[in-house]
Amino acid sequence: MCDHNKNIYLPHLATVEEVIDETPDVRTLRLVFQDEAIRDGFAFRAGQFAEYSAFGAGESTFCIASSPTRKGSIECCFRAVGRVTEALRRLEPGDTMGVRGPYGNSFPIEEFFGRNLVFVAGGIALPPLRTLIWNCLDWRDKFGDITIVYGARTEADLVYKRELQEWQERGDVRLVKTVDPGGNGMAWDGKVGFVPTILEETAPSEENTIALVCGPPIMIKFTLPVLEKLGFTDEQVYTTLENRMKCGLGKCGRCNVGNVYVCKDGPVFTAKQVKAMPAEF
Amino acid sequence: MQKYLSENNLKALLDRLIADGKRVVAPRMDAGTPLYGPLANSGGMVMDKLPRRSAKETFFPVCEDIMTYGKEGQKVNLTDIDPSTFPETVLVGVRPCDAAAIPVLDAVFSWDYKDEFFLERRRKTTIVGLACTKADDACFCTAVGLSPADPKGSDLFLTPLEGGGYACETFTEKGEQLINNHTVLFTEPNGSQPLPPAEPQTEKFDLKKVKKWLDEHFEDPAWDSIAVRCVGCGACAFLCPACHCFDIVDEGTEKAGKRRKNWDACGFWKFTHHASGHNPRDLQPKRYRNRIMHKFKYYDDKFGQSLCSGCGRCIRFCPVGIDIAAIVEEISKK
Repeated sequence: MCDHNKNIYLPHLATVEEVIDETPDVRTLRLVFQDEAIRDGFAFRAGQFAEYSAFGAGESTFCIASSPTRKGSIECCFRAVGRVTEALRRLEPGDTMGVRGPYGNSFPIEEFFGRNLVFVAGGIALPPLRTLIWNCLDWRDKFGDITIVYGARTEADLVYKRELQEWQERGDVRLVKTVDPGGNGMAWDGKVGFVPTILEETAPSEENTIALVCGPPIMIKFTLPVLEKLGFTDEQVYTTLENRMKCGLGKCGRCNVGNVYVCKDGPVFTAKQVKAMPAEF
Repeated sequence: MQKYLSENNLKALLDRLIADGKRVVAPRMDAGTPLYGPLANSGGMVMDKLPRRSAKETFFPVCEDIMTYGKEGQKVNLTDIDPSTFPETVLVGVRPCDAAAIPVLDAVFSWDYKDEFFLERRRKTTIVGLACTKADDACFCTAVGLSPADPKGSDLFLTPLEGGGYACETFTEKGEQLINNHTVLFTEPNGSQPLPPAEPQTEKFDLKKVKKWLDEHFEDPAWDSIAVRCVGCGACAFLCPACHCFDIVDEGTEKAGKRRKNWDACGFWKFTHHASGHNPRDLQPKRYRNRIMHKFKYYDDKFGQSLCSGCGRCIRFCPVGIDIAAIVEEISKK
């Protein structure tokens, strides 16, 4: 008998329903909880994360990459770079893995109703925003203009390629995709340049707009000044922080940035909150 | 409730508890090292030595199973660990520095999500503290506001007396229960004087002042000089009664094994190392800064308490001679 209320470290079992290779080393797993009550009752908000386990290898922390509006299954997306992610990558459809969560805070989506949204993402950092993107697209009439600036090192490193196509074609989203100089093939139909540069060129209006930024530290570092230049205040800019975590529950003591626990106080923060933290992330 | 307990009756008490099926944990010699551990009988108890590691492992073991898993084909079966099977325990001979740290840990293990591995052991354990009559030059409990005779964290507190035996004072229902269940062993106080308590040679720190400096000096050249010699061995965290960081790992194969919660330490390079190669605390002084910050600022910010009870173990056993008491004293004078 497993008691998830008593044992906070106990994962739920989930079946790998679908395996999708996003890039040569980034993979999406679509998961269905094996317990029917969990499958029906698993409620989360865009921005929350989970601990995913490959039994025998351990647990890894990623966001829930699918939208809470899509019921029945959840998705995670990861680059195979370590022991756990390599083991997760070996899983095949029908295999069982573990999921603990959802944990952490979330994007205050209700506060975004009626506003324009600008998503800015780099590389493997699209999944934490993709949950919110689909949440917003599924509630499309609640938002103003939606702009997505997404870049990766090379064309091959862009994740969710099918969805980029869909966003490009649906007419109610402005998608600006880019690759770093040298990352483009001959048939590339997007921009060439680093994300902050392309964001500046895209020049979204700050008026009644929320910017949502996720990417490697170097991208964030150069993107925040661009948003500032475009007139965004630090309260208009949201990001999600990623830190090494183990428990996800505010106990194990490693994800803190100063006295802020990313697993409990985050992972979603405004730029204002991030700037108030000591520079240790 | 105040009582007298002779040395022989203390031994009789422990033997009775063991005979009743209770787990009795006390300082005992373990391959030449004093450690808190379960006793087979009262003869193994060593009351005159501070155990090398603190008493926290009674509630938060060095390694503990949190579940087991077994794979059959594509299916996985999990077996839960049931905390209700944890044994009723009496923890005896706990030094004031060790006992005082235990309720401090309640805060982190019980806020928001409840860690029943820790909390169930807490519920099932009666803590019998013991006043210290000698200190060494690493002891500094008095500097952090405790004392060698402080009963904080103890259910029942023993003070050694001039003529032998112990003065017993209860502080909780659990402590009273222990006496009430064994009334024949406890007699009325006999008026003998307590042995003089230990006198650690440290002045009291102004912890408010220390915290204020930490609030304002995350960046400060002092961190490099404080911690550049730290070798990141983690001994301080493992010996500390209040450090509680842990790791969660699978031990076994893909077919079968267990998931465990193991002690970890913020001094380790890998503690915050991301899979991408990025490390927010990439240098040892940053890791040592986190240790000081967590103890005297972050935990205080969150739970209103500091994570140090002045036991001095991290000073005694630091291989490069880092002295946390000297560091905090210096900060308090800045």
